[in-house]
Amino acid sequence: MTLLSTSTTAASAVFFCLTMQPIIELQNIVKTYSTPAGDFAALRGINLRVYKGELLGIIGKSGAGKSTLLNMINGVDRATSGEILVRLNAATEERVGQFEESQLSLWRGRTMGVVYQSFQLLPMLTLVENIVLPMDLCGLYDARTSRERAIELLRLVELEDQAQKLPSQISGGQQQRAAIARALANDPPILVADEPTGSLDSVTADTIFELFEHLVSDQSKTIVMVTHDSSLAPRFSRSLTLADGELVSDSENAHSGGLRRVASAQKKVATKPARPKRGTKRGAK
Amino acid sequence: MIRPRWRKVFHDLFDNKARTLLVVFSIAVGVFSIGVISGAYKIIQSDMSVSYAANHPGNIELRLADFNADTLASIRNSAGIADAEGRRVVNFRVRTAANDKWVTLDIVALDDFAQNRVNLLAPVEGASIADKNQILLEKDVLENIKAQVGDPLSIELADGTVKTLLIVGIVQDASTGAGDFLAPSTAYIHMSSMPTLRQPQLYNRALVLVSEGQDDLEHIRIVGADLKSKLEKNGFPVFRTRFSETHKHPLADTVNAVLGILMALGILIVFLSSSLIANTLNALLNQHMRHIGVIKLVGGDNRQVLAMYLVLILAFSVLALAVAVPLGGGGAYGLATFLAGKLGFGLLGYRIVPSALLIQFLVGILVPLLAGLIPVIGGSRVTVLTALSGDSAREGDTRSTGDPASMTRWERVQTQAVIFLARRGIHIPRPFVISLRNTFRRRGRLALTLFTLTMGGAIFIGVFNVRVTLDDYIDSIGQYFRADVTLDFDQPYYIDEVKQFALQVPGVSTVEGWQFAGAELLDEQGAVIDNLNILAPPADSELIKPIISAGRFIKLGDERKLAISEAILNYYPNIQPGDLLPMNINGRVEHWEVVGLFKFVGRDGILAYMPLDYSAQISNMINRSFSFRIVTNPHDRATQDLMAEKLDRYFRDAGFKVRSSQSGLASLDSAAESLDTLVTFLLIMAILTAVVGSMGLAGTMGMNVLERTREIGITRAIGADDRAVMRTVIAEGLVIGMISFALAIVISVPITYLLSWIISVAVFESPLATHFTWQGYLIWLALLLVLSTVASILPARNAARLTIREVLAYE
Repeated sequence: MTLLSTSTTAASAVFFCLTMQPIIELQNIVKTYSTPAGDFAALRGINLRVYKGELLGIIGKSGAGKSTLLNMINGVDRATSGEILVRLNAATEERVGQFEESQLSLWRGRTMGVVYQSFQLLPMLTLVENIVLPMDLCGLYDARTSRERAIELLRLVELEDQAQKLPSQISGGQQQRAAIARALANDPPILVADEPTGSLDSVTADTIFELFEHLVSDQSKTIVMVTHDSSLAPRFSRSLTLADGELVSDSENAHSGGLRRVASAQKKVATKPARPKRGTKRGAK
Repeated sequence: MIRPRWRKVFHDLFDNKARTLLVVFSIAVGVFSIGVISGAYKIIQSDMSVSYAANHPGNIELRLADFNADTLASIRNSAGIADAEGRRVVNFRVRTAANDKWVTLDIVALDDFAQNRVNLLAPVEGASIADKNQILLEKDVLENIKAQVGDPLSIELADGTVKTLLIVGIVQDASTGAGDFLAPSTAYIHMSSMPTLRQPQLYNRALVLVSEGQDDLEHIRIVGADLKSKLEKNGFPVFRTRFSETHKHPLADTVNAVLGILMALGILIVFLSSSLIANTLNALLNQHMRHIGVIKLVGGDNRQVLAMYLVLILAFSVLALAVAVPLGGGGAYGLATFLAGKLGFGLLGYRIVPSALLIQFLVGILVPLLAGLIPVIGGSRVTVLTALSGDSAREGDTRSTGDPASMTRWERVQTQAVIFLARRGIHIPRPFVISLRNTFRRRGRLALTLFTLTMGGAIFIGVFNVRVTLDDYIDSIGQYFRADVTLDFDQPYYIDEVKQFALQVPGVSTVEGWQFAGAELLDEQGAVIDNLNILAPPADSELIKPIISAGRFIKLGDERKLAISEAILNYYPNIQPGDLLPMNINGRVEHWEVVGLFKFVGRDGILAYMPLDYSAQISNMINRSFSFRIVTNPHDRATQDLMAEKLDRYFRDAGFKVRSSQSGLASLDSAAESLDTLVTFLLIMAILTAVVGSMGLAGTMGMNVLERTREIGITRAIGADDRAVMRTVIAEGLVIGMISFALAIVISVPITYLLSWIISVAVFESPLATHFTWQGYLIWLALLLVLSTVASILPARNAARLTIREVLAYE
């Protein structure tokens, strides 16, 4: 039951499949929680494809299932049924569900940077240490390179001069930029962000958004971000609306700067599959 | 740069200083106790035997009629004998100018201090050789009289004349009287001083070294028995024999048993502290849940998280070891020195005991690791989702709504109880209801805290009960020495004559003449096993109230019958009233009937009783006696001492040859004193367990309050003031304290029985009747009230100090 399949012409779909595989693919994802009051379905059969270089926004109200969906993608939570595939290149296809908890941590550390609304920096470590931590844990870089990389990432988020400060000594916006720098530590191709601007004022939020746009255009990252703020929709290269655990709309912002940059970054992709600006509403309130 | 994960571990170590102190101290207490006890055990085990052996203790000590150098030479030449020395030992009353009171001493005369080869004297102060008219004091003497090297010592002779010898030195004799709590102190003179004391220059005691099998008691006994029969054939009756192994201090078994009990308590302390460690680490892991979530979110796996927290535990261990190992080593030597001083042997000097060190390291590292393993493994396995959402912090509080169906049974009971009471007009203050509910929120933690606190309390109470048991026992021993003054003479006097004289002294109410017979207990083959001291009071004596455990006590008309102490069971485990016991009495082997067994403990020989009439008959001393028991009024120690002094002077003035006049309780003092030492150690261990218990409570309260900081903020936001917050927390601490007290009352019963059984068997070789006292319960209750309040006040104050904003922002 996907918006994607119903809203894509068969021809363009064939063309797309031949030319490019989605970097993330969710197949009929269902997540049910057991509560004393009975089962509660947080996600009801989500089908979603995310392509390399997208700045994908998932918009929904509180309780719509946004964070649950994001936790499915980054492997923090497991789906009740359905499959999540991650294809970093044409040759590899990884099923998120196949990993054990420990493998998952390492996989996530290398594949996916995670950014939360509450920053989740370790309070006792300086910014540079917070950023070195994922490299230390995943063992992709030696100590010296790790540090150099951390400084470089801090420079990228314009926090180089705050490197030795503790998270508590800087502002919320700076903490979130540091969290983004940490998410990039192991140079993962994908970034998932859960309400990254939720705790920030609009000006600061804007700088975070610009940073995301920059990461997509200049570093070819794929970013999946969830937010309750529907006014942000135009800034995504594509935005989906989630309500009551189902995707209810899909809009591609061809006009957005984000997509333009995506297009330029992915020269192979001549056209993207055409999608309607609004999907049929299903169960949306 | 240190890797960030180790930076975090380092930070965690010092982040919450109170928590670190709690864990480090918990580990340190266990390491310290084990270190002290195992170290002291090792030091004493080696030094006690080495130092005892270094004094060349005689394997056989014979007390016999006066003999000369020729007889000594024939002893030396007997089969199986390596060496022998003769001594003359005479009991005198002495005092210095600084003392009013006379003190009895065994004065030991040696032929040649320089050639001394058996029961060596170790110099302590001044000279270690006494010339003519000089005297050396054994250092224990100084406990009874004030004396210094250079002081003259007045010695009273049998006829009342006083002679003076010059104190030239203090020495230590680790062998003479070792193992006999009631043995008199000793002093040493040269044989040439004996004429000054109007004594012949003859020996009355032989100290013998066997040529082989010096550590084989069986062999020593056989050699001793042969020697004895040889001497007796030659007309030298042997009154008493004592056998001892060269490398075994007579009290070694007792000391080992006592250290064994302390070790058991030490292990218990380690065990209790480990539950404290587990509790604290559990809380730490809970507080770090979000950190663990972040680490796993950015790529850390279970093993990395596990390693981080295991390293943290190791760091706690290292800090604890740094504190506890040196303290434990010092404590071990202190304990060993103390025990050595009490038992009269020297130590070979301070040293590090490698095995104790190893035990300390093992305890310090393995116990925290084991205690922390379950919480740490649990913490490292938590999923990112759980960790970041903080779900696991709600252990025992899993319901998501106020759904009554999900209330625990305990909560239902509480709610119903409150409603029930409210309907009857009894309103429990709401904050107290909250306290009560808080108490049971973390059941795992509560269980560990209660366990620690309860065991600490139960042991504390148990030690007090054991003390009373021992005290009662000493008192009951007093029932065998009910006389207020014991008057001994150098020659027998008519009982009626002494009675007549004594009753003229104001304060004397009863006088009894007693006799004494020394005998030797024989085994089935006829070899000497032990000395048998048979007291012969009048059959209807008022002055002895034995605790009969089988059969009956002596009665008029008993012939060749005796009541004997339970110590006989060590040699004849199945003996029963009616059985015949082989013994050597007055130089003849006879079989006496045992009429009853009674409880009594003595170290030097076995005590038995026969009626005075029969004793008089066999000793040919009808109506006469050497020894008199006198009852005075009142019976306190001061009166006894005064009366002893008075009677002594009175009888001397009347021309009686008084050997000694002793107050009744004096002889019990030293026995009571050595038990006090034991009780002091038990009490120290009890206090340590109590400390561990209260640390557990303080830690738990601290953790509870810390985890509830947000809740406290909300309480304050809706109007609770500082006092209300503190009241809630303190009430919770008191509830925990009182629950543990109730449990401790129950648990203390088996612990008391166990402790008193172990100790009485170790020290007295027979179990004692256990007694209970309110003392321990009351003291523990008072301590607990104070501890619970103090343990809660600190975290409560911290909680009350936080502003609402701080609290609600708390993460």
